[in-house]
Amino acid sequence: MERLFIDQAKATPQIDFDMDTRILIIKGQSYPENAFKFYEPVFNWLDDFLTQIQDERQIRLELSLPYVNTSSSKCIMMLLEKFEEAKEQGRNILINWYYDKDNESELECAEEFKEFVDLEFNLIPC
Amino acid sequence: MCMKLTDIQNILGTSKILTCFSGRFSQGLIEEMGEAVKKHMECEEMPKNAIFNVFSIFIEQTQNIKNYTATKEGSPNYNTIAGNSIVCIGNTENNYFIWSGNYIENSDIEPLRKKLELVSKANKDELKLLFREQMKKELEPGKNGAGIGLIDIARKASSPIEYSFEKVDDSFYFYEIKVIV
Repeated sequence: MERLFIDQAKATPQIDFDMDTRILIIKGQSYPENAFKFYEPVFNWLDDFLTQIQDERQIRLELSLPYVNTSSSKCIMMLLEKFEEAKEQGRNILINWYYDKDNESELECAEEFKEFVDLEFNLIPC
Repeated sequence: MCMKLTDIQNILGTSKILTCFSGRFSQGLIEEMGEAVKKHMECEEMPKNAIFNVFSIFIEQTQNIKNYTATKEGSPNYNTIAGNSIVCIGNTENNYFIWSGNYIENSDIEPLRKKLELVSKANKDELKLLFREQMKKELEPGKNGAGIGLIDIARKASSPIEYSFEKVDDSFYFYEIKVIV
């Protein structure tokens, strides 16, 4: 399986999913014209990846999303649901969500996602 | 009658409008305007969460219009709807506002009006529940948006959202929404 890398643009985040290190990074603002279209290859890669992984070595999702519009939020939610499912099947998953410590709205948004899913979920100020 | 540029300047000034675009929205335009407003607010040393809320509401409002327009692609009404969109961002002494409007077909008013009534009357806890419900819901196939925009706008607004529908002709109404942050 190849590493998935998508460069950051004004309205889309950088995607860097590495099969070998099992570190999956989404970093940057997300408000594309069509979020579902943008995240489709991300979903597909993740589905393949999660089918191939059969052991308990940790998979780490690193999220740094200073702004997400509502349709991107929905996509992030769908992504987290895929991880939730994988966790139920015994995979070892950690979510690190980085937020700007001076922006309470960003923290609220992150907290809400944490409440939505049953996953090991760290909120990390920076 | 020919309007002078200073007349337009006066209208913008008395309406407290900082920036305004009228015409056909594109994703590129939305990005540029959004980033410009963000920079402007940073220069004014506004708190980060105020900048965040103004930017979010601006993006949701304009993308709602853009998504609505996209559903009319191929229809004979497409050009009229696409060409008649407007968005203004302004600030009064204490608040920022995002004020936008677009043409809407008569038959699309009712579902929108219902949603607007729901979100403008709900309190913050009820809005949180609505948001959660919508986030957990399966996506409607073929839709560009997730149907969460107005809920999110109402959550970030500092007072209930104002909206109206005004008849243009037999086919269209002008729908406008004003959100104070």
